[in-house]
Amino acid sequence: MPANPVTYTAFLNADEVRAVAVGRRRRERAGAFVVGGGTAVVLVALLVIPLFLIHSLLPWTGLAAGTWQRLGVLFAGSVKAAVAALVVAVPIGLATAIFTAHFGAPRLRAFIKPALEILEAIPTVVLGLVAAATLAPWLKTNLATLLLAVIAVPAALMAGGLFFGAKLRRRETWLPLWLLPLLLVVVAAIVAAFARSDQPVIAATTPWNAVLIGLALGLAAVPLVFSIAEDALTLIPSTHTQAALALGATRWQALTSMVLPAAASGLVAAVVLGASRCIGETMIVLMASGNTPLFDVNPLTGLRSISAELAIGLPEAAPPGQSYRVLLLAALVLFALTFVLNFLAERVRATLRRQAGTAAHGL
Amino acid sequence: MSARFIRVGAFGDAGTWLVAGAAAACLAAMLALLIVLGGAGAAPFWPSPIVEVQTRDGRVLLGEIVSRSDDAIALRTSEIDRIGTGYVRVAPKQFIDSTNPDDAFVIALTDGRRVFGRGDAAAADARLHEMSGADADEILWPNAVGFFARSGIFLRHVSRFLGASSTAAPLGGGVLPALAGTVTLVLLMSVIVMPFGIATAAYLHERRGAAAGLVRSAIGNLAGVPSIVYGVLGLGLFVHGLGADIDRWFYSDRLPVPTFGSGGLLWAALTLALLTLPVVVVSVEEGLARIPAGLRAGSLALGATRGETLWRLMLPAARPALLTGLILAIARAAGAVAPLMLVGVVKLAPALPIDGEFPYLHPSRQFMHLGFAVYDAALASPDAVRGVPRAYACALLLIVVVVALNLTAIVLRNRLRARYRALES
Amino acid sequence: MLTSLSDAASAQTPSSALTGVEIALETRALSLWYGKRRALEEVSFGLPARRITALVGPSGSGKSSLLRCLNRLNDEIEDCRVEGKVLVGDTDAYAKDTVVHELRRRVGMVFQRPNPFPLSIYENVAYGLRLQGLRKRRELDECVEAALKAASLWDEVATRLDDSALELAFGQQQRLVVARAIAVEPEILLMDEPASALDPAATLRFEELLHELAQRYSVLLVTHNMQQAARVADYTAFLHQGRLVEFGDTDSLFTNPRERQTEDYITGRYG
Repeated sequence: MPANPVTYTAFLNADEVRAVAVGRRRRERAGAFVVGGGTAVVLVALLVIPLFLIHSLLPWTGLAAGTWQRLGVLFAGSVKAAVAALVVAVPIGLATAIFTAHFGAPRLRAFIKPALEILEAIPTVVLGLVAAATLAPWLKTNLATLLLAVIAVPAALMAGGLFFGAKLRRRETWLPLWLLPLLLVVVAAIVAAFARSDQPVIAATTPWNAVLIGLALGLAAVPLVFSIAEDALTLIPSTHTQAALALGATRWQALTSMVLPAAASGLVAAVVLGASRCIGETMIVLMASGNTPLFDVNPLTGLRSISAELAIGLPEAAPPGQSYRVLLLAALVLFALTFVLNFLAERVRATLRRQAGTAAHGL
Repeated sequence: MSARFIRVGAFGDAGTWLVAGAAAACLAAMLALLIVLGGAGAAPFWPSPIVEVQTRDGRVLLGEIVSRSDDAIALRTSEIDRIGTGYVRVAPKQFIDSTNPDDAFVIALTDGRRVFGRGDAAAADARLHEMSGADADEILWPNAVGFFARSGIFLRHVSRFLGASSTAAPLGGGVLPALAGTVTLVLLMSVIVMPFGIATAAYLHERRGAAAGLVRSAIGNLAGVPSIVYGVLGLGLFVHGLGADIDRWFYSDRLPVPTFGSGGLLWAALTLALLTLPVVVVSVEEGLARIPAGLRAGSLALGATRGETLWRLMLPAARPALLTGLILAIARAAGAVAPLMLVGVVKLAPALPIDGEFPYLHPSRQFMHLGFAVYDAALASPDAVRGVPRAYACALLLIVVVVALNLTAIVLRNRLRARYRALES
Repeated sequence: MLTSLSDAASAQTPSSALTGVEIALETRALSLWYGKRRALEEVSFGLPARRITALVGPSGSGKSSLLRCLNRLNDEIEDCRVEGKVLVGDTDAYAKDTVVHELRRRVGMVFQRPNPFPLSIYENVAYGLRLQGLRKRRELDECVEAALKAASLWDEVATRLDDSALELAFGQQQRLVVARAIAVEPEILLMDEPASALDPAATLRFEELLHELAQRYSVLLVTHNMQQAARVADYTAFLHQGRLVEFGDTDSLFTNPRERQTEDYITGRYG
């Protein structure tokens, strides 16, 4: 083979080569600066939130009488909303995750996960609208229906499982689709049963109550609880389940004896993250809580949350004023609360991921 | 007997059915939600029939049925003086008869009032002249036309709703200003968030060690901060802080009227950029991580620097991930109403933030936003009955946009994964 | 180019093997640690210029690690420590003022699995050229064509330079990677089992290419396949558990190995 007649160096003289080399080094340094700088800005941004809030509250001159009480009402309101939502979101989210991760057919899983992603994408203002405009009037007269449904549907499911479970055992992986008609029938029966009475069996004093918020905010939180829980469950190697099945256990027994205990901390993290999300949510609470500035534990009364107070109060409050400072304090409390919850949950998840990594290597 | 009835594993079946049922309930709730939104959002555009009701006490009422329940029927009759004054409730006991007369017409006035009558075009004209100083937006004979004509009216209503007219029947002003505001906001936010998001993702991809770990946990924590808190930051730091300073330095002649010292497009875009930053970083970093390591090694082995490898090879290869991150950020921004309520969104903006007058983009102006229009129509409308349908219509539009964006992102992400599986094999 | 070995390298190399042989690259007591694990132990040898040197040894003996030390790709690995010297021509590769990316241009590398970029065939080869400052289309065209010809791939792709490189067969991809590497005029070519992913026919073609490449470049070829080493290499180095056990011209190493370990490996007693 003759010596390569064409070389790139033939096209560049020594000066050009040097200029290119210098230019490359300079661009590399500039690039590193840009990347590092951009990242530093992001880091600063996280710190800025609490620092700004704290800075605005200094010098601390104390608060007017009764302010702490008001803040307490708001705090309790946020917690009440979150609890109501978790009552809905945790059972449904965890159960859906358990089914999808442990029992579901892969194609069903490939459908459920994007579906829940879409649910998560729905803006909460829209959920608040549905809650306020459609759900609230219905709930005002149909509280008994809801209560009965909450009891009857799981009971029907369990009874169905007890008596017919074996027959459908092979179709288990697509069970939700088979059960959909059963759900509809049970709900329709309950609705029909109560439709004949004139008066609402249970009357709520106001439609803007914690039950309404629980339904709307709970539905909004289901995707988050689901995805964190499903993440935790799929981290458990399938060999755990295979081993249990080989010993003669049913899939359910494998779940309760091996998978759930192993994934327990991840499931707790899912609940904690869900709680954090619910505490921080604004629009649903703003539109569906009645914003009653009183607190009591009764689920049939309204509430006022920190986030709703911020949304209502801040546009009016002017910076140096007392009300402005109080609102900033409330925002700081909200930030701290959600930050702590998030931090703890993420720590738990990171530990789980590390354990799963070493377990995979061990096996 | 009962022992054999409940076999081994029966409780397991009960449990399995329970969790499967939960998944079914989840899907059912989603479906119900979408059906409610679709129905309630589209229904207001369909021309409703006009009924003539005769009551036992001798009244003859002409109007549209607004709601029907066990204890009463609500009718919207002619609004002669003001919007909202024409609602009549008729108890079933008072009800004698109702008909749908073919010659019944409805005049939708430009100020939102609706007036009903019977007769032909001349009669409608005469009725219109009785209304002092108002123009007609449209005059319809809904009972006299067939399905196709009604569909045509439906489409016309929808297209006017998507337009810019401020008086379009039947739901009031078109949403184009809100759409334009949302789009402008989202574009400005994208221009801000993408460079920072890509830079941070590149940093996390290239570097390991304590600093990178700190940044990663910072991103994770940023993602968990409630959106309203971002609004508080935007209001306090940007509007009252930076904005007031900018006013003092550059616009002092306009004070005390604030330019940047009040909510506006720029501060809203900055606030949302901060809000959506974690979404972009996570998506881009995932995209970079999926690129097979051999590619990067090959580039470095050729004598490329890390920066050149990133800029010329890896970021272009990760384009789908960049796009996914952008799309998810936009979808998030379209739906985030709470922070915007604090940093500059308004019900009705006097001018668009982007128009033909120099410098074409006005970052200090207030703007309208589709998500806020939903909230505002639901809660703050002067006519409660009319507000909710409008809210639903805006909500349906918003949902369509957001769901379309998310579906696109999902499809893109699946294609990305398939592409990299091919690269590796 | 070095013309004579240092004492350390001479100690591990019989002077008969490399007297008067021009050396393109030299390592002196090169040691490598991954964290606490020592991967290379005081490796000293000289790479003869414009010859093919095979690097053989059992799995895990450090062959790939040694290669990565020579173009400093090990820098990308966390917790990696290097001691000793690597001299590429007159340049100390690990000196503080050595510009790494400029070193890597001079020491090209071909990997075990072909790793063409997800770009067109043309752009793959032009990638390195653009980095060096070549911009004009005509200049790039000429250099790309020359590189593809030197990698004996030109005839097969001349009409479809804008097609994606990923559509090529494995054997063609590997030759494309070679073209990409030689376009920037390296002095040394490091090859890490380049034919192990190829079928026998493609492997044979690749070995023919190696002979041609050796006329311009100094090739260090890691291979598991001893027959390949015997067919292709002028010199062979035997690495075992991170130590350079023996180095010599291929014929004498295979027929008359000096060290017992070498003989054991060649006769298949282990590895």
